[in-house]
Parts: sequence; C-alpha cells; structure tokens
Amino acid sequence: MMDNKIKSLKDLEALKRKARGEVNLRSDEEGKKVTVHLGTCGIAAGARDVLACLMDELTKTPQTKVVLRQTGCAGLCDQEPMLTYCDESGKQFVYGKLDKNKVKRIIQEHVLGGKPAAEYLVTT
Amino acid sequence: MRDLSLHILDLIENSVRAGASTVFVAIDESPAEGTLKVTIEDNGPGLSVTPEQAADPFYTTKPGKKTGLGLGFFRASVEAAGGAFMLRRSRLGGLAVEGVMQIGHVDRIPLGDLALTISSVVCTNPKLDLRCRISANGKEHNIAVSEVAEEFPAPERDGLAVARCVSQRIKAGLADLSVSE
Repeated sequence: MMDNKIKSLKDLEALKRKARGEVNLRSDEEGKKVTVHLGTCGIAAGARDVLACLMDELTKTPQTKVVLRQTGCAGLCDQEPMLTYCDESGKQFVYGKLDKNKVKRIIQEHVLGGKPAAEYLVTT
Repeated sequence: MRDLSLHILDLIENSVRAGASTVFVAIDESPAEGTLKVTIEDNGPGLSVTPEQAADPFYTTKPGKKTGLGLGFFRASVEAAGGAFMLRRSRLGGLAVEGVMQIGHVDRIPLGDLALTISSVVCTNPKLDLRCRISANGKEHNIAVSEVAEEFPAPERDGLAVARCVSQRIKAGLADLSVSE
C-alpha cells in the first residue's frame, strides 16, 4: 500500500518512521493520549473537523507516540468542540471551543512542546 | 446536524458507548423509489425501553443528564425529508436505527463526508469491527475494516493507514455508484 517507490535505504527508513507514527495513533500503548469528545453536542459543534485536524497534524510528527481516542459528552456542551489531553504522567488537560488553528497550537505547544496552551483550557 | 454523515457519526458513538463490538452502516439509494435509506446496526445490548421513549429528546440512559438528543435529531431530519424513522432489533443482536428519506425532498439534508465519518471512527476505535455497505441501482460495495486491515502487514494493522484506506474505498464506492450528495 505504498504510493512511492522505495529507491534507497533512506526511503525505507522514512517509510518505517511514517508507518510507526501511524501505528501509534491507534495503538493501545500507554503514553500521550488525545481524546476527542464526540457526543451529539460535540459533533454538532464541529468535533469531527477537530479530529480530522488532529489526524493530519499527528501524522506529520511520526516520531511522537500519541494515541487518539473518542469519548462522549462531558456535560460542558457550551465548551464544545472539546478534547482532553492526557500527558505521559497521566495528568489531564481539557481544551474547549476548539477550531483547526487552536488544535495546531495545542499539538505544537503542549503535545510536542510540553507546555499547556493555557488560553484554550476549559476552566470550571 | 448539517448532514447525514454527522448523524451517522453520532449514532455510531451511541453504539460504541453502549458497548457494541460490531457496527454495521448501510447507505442504500433506490432511484426507482426515490428513496435514500440510512441504517446503523450494532451488536450492543439493544433497547431497554420502548422505541418511542428512546427517541424522546428528554430521555437518556446517561447519569447526570436530562437530554438524549442524538436519536431525536436523526428522527427529525428523516421526518423533515418526508421519511420514516424506525428502531428495531438488529440481526447482529443489538439495535438497528433506520431512516428512509425521499431523495429529492427539498428538506433532505445532504449525505456529507461519509468517508471522514467512517475514518474518524476507525482511527479512534481500533478494536471495533466496523462494516459498511453502499448500494444503489442494484449494485453495492461492501467495506469491512477488518478485511482492509488484513491487507496491511501486521505492525500497520492498527495504523492510521487503515483508516485512510477505508476512507478512499468509501469515496470510490460512492463515486462508482453515483450516490446522491
């Protein structure tokens, strides 16, 4: 299932890295986990587009192990679309009122950079 | 919901939350009858209440909530398109949600991005046995995620590549059968 032919060892290594990244998105390995809230409220607010953006962004960073999961409504419907990020230590961060640009920043700054994007965190 | 594919995502989420391990999604278009049928079936526990109660927006099984809008929204979309909504026992053992709409009805919402809906579910539920059927004009395409995954080497079977491949096949199936938007 390859679009490009492998012409060198470098190509093979690149394919391996890409495949490993893709595996990590769906595997049950422990570590970083992003959960998208796909309740009725979340879906109506745009959660599927958030998930599509997450898939695109995480595919670009195959070296980072991240598990993608879905969950339902968290009871904060006015904050949808939402995601919960669980870092390697198990600490959870809930982000709300998301769009594609916010998702990109959360991936870059928090998931990859380790620093929460504080202005998008849901505070109750 | 602005399109049917979002309803489908919502109804699959209901099945997953109910504990189903197998979900079947069917899009059946009948130009002769002028109908578009959307079916979501699962092998979950099925209904513990009457179909009328289940589709009531103010009924839910979730603790701490007062509304359960998903089925009610889907029923409203189906009925707005001159259609019929039905909840019945699935041949898989759980619940079957079915909506038959008039294709050309002015208030029928579009099918939307079915491929993205299905790939979203595949990506976030690697253990779910998800099967799809797209049929129109007497022809049909069947796509089973487990069969698509089998085409990949073992280490890649839980990978996003499977979701992407399923997405492409759904797009190809819809295009091949010229299913209405």
